[in-house]
Amino acid sequence: MTLVPVTYKGGIYQHDIVTDLIEDLGGYVVQKHVLAQEVVLQCFVPRDDIELIREISRPLFGEVTDSPLVGTEIAVVSMSLEIHHLPHPSCDIAEYVRRIGAKSNMVSLARGPGKRITGLNDEERDVINEHDIAVYLMGNFETCIEHKMPILLRGIEVPVVVCGGPDKETLIRIVDPPVEGYVGGVGRFMRRTKEADQLDKLDEIIAEITRVLEKKREDLAKDPLSVSPARLMNLIRERVPAILEVTSPTPLTVQLAGLRVKLPYDTFAPALRAMEIEDGITLGDVAAIEPSRMRDYILVKVLPFSETNTVI
Amino acid sequence: MLAVEYFEVECPEPVGAEYYKQITNDVLLDHNLLKVIEKLHVYIDPKVPVFIAVGILKPITNVVRVGDIANVNPQEGKMTLVITEETYLASMLKIFWERFGKDKVEQPDRFTVVLYDVPVAAKEIEEIVIGHPSESLNKDLIYAFRCVAPEGFRLRSERFDKGKFSFVASENTLVENIDELVKAKFALMGETP
Repeated sequence: MTLVPVTYKGGIYQHDIVTDLIEDLGGYVVQKHVLAQEVVLQCFVPRDDIELIREISRPLFGEVTDSPLVGTEIAVVSMSLEIHHLPHPSCDIAEYVRRIGAKSNMVSLARGPGKRITGLNDEERDVINEHDIAVYLMGNFETCIEHKMPILLRGIEVPVVVCGGPDKETLIRIVDPPVEGYVGGVGRFMRRTKEADQLDKLDEIIAEITRVLEKKREDLAKDPLSVSPARLMNLIRERVPAILEVTSPTPLTVQLAGLRVKLPYDTFAPALRAMEIEDGITLGDVAAIEPSRMRDYILVKVLPFSETNTVI
Repeated sequence: MLAVEYFEVECPEPVGAEYYKQITNDVLLDHNLLKVIEKLHVYIDPKVPVFIAVGILKPITNVVRVGDIANVNPQEGKMTLVITEETYLASMLKIFWERFGKDKVEQPDRFTVVLYDVPVAAKEIEEIVIGHPSESLNKDLIYAFRCVAPEGFRLRSERFDKGKFSFVASENTLVENIDELVKAKFALMGETP
């Protein structure tokens, strides 16, 4: 059964029919937003059953669309939190990927700006490495990008998409070491992205992120995970009631190969490790439970089949 | 950039120059400064690195008087001022307090000020100067150019004098011949610093 990421949009009336249906079909609801009379579900559903969900939700005026970024956590790396980069373009891009279903975090560097003075500290590096992909928002000058990128990519292990003012070919030529994705023509600008050509650029960023993530998904599929992160999310929600008290927008953030649990590590890590998933197999057997560099959260890294010899 | 007589952005990287022209335009427009600038030349060299903005301001001689922001209605024993624009209200009240005393000035609501038993005519009240818009202009311009200049360029040197200004910023210590560069940029506009 292949699970595909989709977004369901529909009225709040009787939406539990859809939620139940998704769960009965073996899918998972990753995020649920209730906005006035509308409900938006970001979920994983079996590929073959999408038509069935469409059929059943039709009387409820529900709409099912593909959302390739559901279940991913993206780091939007902004060079600083100054007016030069915020709210445009950093927030515009972070918000746009959120609409397609991703969970985006903005990582702002302490010494991001400049050419000679630029730097990346260990905390920033580790926080970026906790994500599925990093989107670097660079400036308009190729001299600066060429000079800065080797420093900003030091120790980064996740796939990177570089956005910058020069065109794509120039970026491919100057960025060293090479990264996975490039989007040209999106440097620093001081206006809201609302014109058609600017929105096209945002779509281009999404397409590039999707392409890079698809490749990562394919690589993961070669050595499948011992347990699906979306399934773990539901289990933790059932077994660790404290997660229901967390007020952050996504207390459990699903990633491609793991999960961020927004509970204090020292208190909850032993309980999570001992949590039974099925047939006496505990979470500690199939996943590495580590402290996150983001606040005192827990990072659950699901181990691949080759390491655990189990798939549940 | 219709209101500006001369506006150029010079940069060894043509793509960068285009983006910075857009950024400069957007920032000055946002800060409402386009109408005070007559000529503007921006030079950026990311290799040095240096950012230079030189320009000429339009002469601003006008001052804001009470009559510009309020309607003065003389009545029996008092004078009611109906405020239409709040920007200079605080400085106006301060001037009234100093001149007439706090007991004679009352502000019953946001848009009304009442003066009791003041020994001056309505015409005279209308003529009182309450603001000089040009005073804060330098500060606004510096702030705007800080937004325009690349963020890493934190070492700055600004000069505002007799309607002419220069703003130089760099990531490294500013080189000694910066005055020469500024002079050369002014010359491109057909001006002297």
